[in-house]
Amino acid sequence: MPILETKGVKAYYSTPLGYIRAVDGIDLTLEKGVILGLAGESGCGKSTLVNTLMMNVRPPLRFIEGTIILDGKEISSMDRSMLKKNVWGVLVSLVPQSALNALMPTQRITDLVKDVVMHHMNVSEQEVVSMAKKRFEELNLEVDTLYRYPHELSGGMKQRVVIAISTLLNPKLLIVDEPTSALDVSTQKQVLKMLVDLKRAKIIESMIFVTHDIAVLRQIANWITIMYAGKIVESGLADDMLNHPKHPYTFSLVNAVVTPEPEVRNRGLASLPGEPPNLLDPPKGCRFNPRCPNAMEICRAKEPHLEEKSNRLVACHLVFP
Amino acid sequence: MNPFIRFITRRLAFLLMTFFAFLLIIFALPRAIPGNPLASLLYQIIQQAQSNPDLVKAVYKKLLEEFGMDKPVHIQLIEFLGRLGGGDLGTSIAFYPRKVADLVFSYLPWSLGLLIPATLTSWVLGNLLGALAAYKRKTLTDNFLLTAFLTLSQTPYYWLAMILLYAFAVSFKFFPLNGAYSPGKTPTLSIPFILDMLHHYVLPFFSIIIGAMGGWAIGMRVMVIYELGSDYVSYVDSLGLPDRKILQYVFKNSMLPQITGLAINLGTILGGALITELVFSYPGTGFLIFRALSTLDYPLIQGTFVLIISTLLLANFIVDLIYAFIDPRIKTGYVGE
Repeated sequence: MPILETKGVKAYYSTPLGYIRAVDGIDLTLEKGVILGLAGESGCGKSTLVNTLMMNVRPPLRFIEGTIILDGKEISSMDRSMLKKNVWGVLVSLVPQSALNALMPTQRITDLVKDVVMHHMNVSEQEVVSMAKKRFEELNLEVDTLYRYPHELSGGMKQRVVIAISTLLNPKLLIVDEPTSALDVSTQKQVLKMLVDLKRAKIIESMIFVTHDIAVLRQIANWITIMYAGKIVESGLADDMLNHPKHPYTFSLVNAVVTPEPEVRNRGLASLPGEPPNLLDPPKGCRFNPRCPNAMEICRAKEPHLEEKSNRLVACHLVFP
Repeated sequence: MNPFIRFITRRLAFLLMTFFAFLLIIFALPRAIPGNPLASLLYQIIQQAQSNPDLVKAVYKKLLEEFGMDKPVHIQLIEFLGRLGGGDLGTSIAFYPRKVADLVFSYLPWSLGLLIPATLTSWVLGNLLGALAAYKRKTLTDNFLLTAFLTLSQTPYYWLAMILLYAFAVSFKFFPLNGAYSPGKTPTLSIPFILDMLHHYVLPFFSIIIGAMGGWAIGMRVMVIYELGSDYVSYVDSLGLPDRKILQYVFKNSMLPQITGLAINLGTILGGALITELVFSYPGTGFLIFRALSTLDYPLIQGTFVLIISTLLLANFIVDLIYAFIDPRIKTGYVGE
């Protein structure tokens, strides 16, 4: 049984001008133990998707339709209080994109830790503190950090503390939204190592890692899903996909990054012209067609669907004519 | 040296300098108002001793000497500061021969008794209702509360006081028209007197609460809405913390500016509620200041304002200290850890 399975998930932002179709018909299956890298350019709906996947949907975002099954439970039909009690923090945890501001400024880390753990578990304060100390040691974080205020920590430290707090209750699935974007390269490395350690120590089972940085994906993900304009365009095994992208968008995404891989290097660097489409009124047919170098007649008329061939899912008329 | 002590010393030095600057202003401003402070006192004497102009002249000269007004201004200033240093606020002209300190301390309890409970009540109510409106934002409750807050905060409070007075003391004679207790009674700690006092207390008390609550509520509502939109709220929300707990967090952070506001407000209490006290003829310091200003009673003006400024500065100083304990970021800013 996969840890997460979704069917036809749609979540739109409701605005006075109409719906912004940020997540538009997502079918996703995440097997247990997999680190899924979710990539795409800014504004393609990555963050909206991961929040929707845990049903963290607040106005103006609306859950339109679809089913989400997390660890065998259909969470798409649960209400918010139920989700808060039994799902969030326990089954699935989020490390938000704004992790640097995610800690309450007038509270010591221990106080937040106590509130979070004691809401979900029936334990005493001392037990929580010793539990947190043990976990911080395990993750090579200074135990002293627990008694600090957020403003006393560096950016990388805050990021790691947030990750540690999100995983305190051993959630089966951890969703990490752009954890490395605001950090320098050496801090990035520490954070990535911490995430890998979490999985190795079996604190978490599976992970969804959101990024727009293909180079980071290479280091951490074993399965990659590429999003474009609210839809999944390609999905497959990490190495295979980065070395042999099939969808023209994935191809240009991979080619826009400097890498030491000779295979990729030989193709030379290229950047993708144009801008992401307006999701209030997405293009007809394939959403990528206005920017696609290989666009055909059919691309403007008919929308391609995700189809599978040798462990790779692609939504493109070029690949599946 | 301990950085916190250094911080306190620096703040204290700053406090003293500000206080001194204020003293100069307090001394100079009444003297800039045209008019002779002795005029009304003199007028009474002239009426009594019309037939004897020499006596009037002699009395006038004696009065000038008594209040030191025959000396040059800079000498007067030095004398004023010197007396102040010795804890003497001087003698009132309008209430001659009563001492300013005596006057203030006989009027002050009424102002404190009225304003401390009223300010605290309106502050607590305003903050709670403001937080409620923010929590229920964009609902009917919020629309109703916000409209009420805006209307109340923009209503001139003296007008509100007069409406209350007209409605509940003139049209329906539920409450007495004026004063802090019925005329003819002497303040004692007996049950009938306290009941009489409370009876007089209701209208001024509510006119202050209603007038001040709206402003507090609007400020709190904005702060809470702002905090609810912050990243730490969405994070603890995604960790499954219950809404009640999240509201506690938000409330704590939203209270910071409100605490400053309260302290500054409490600092001005010594000055009484000038217009409210006038409307209800309530014998508080506001009433006293009004008398002092309308008779140009230099010593009384100086004395009352010195007290007001001192408490205001002291309140600000205490808030600075409290802040350092509530908000660790500010402590770091002060102390430079």
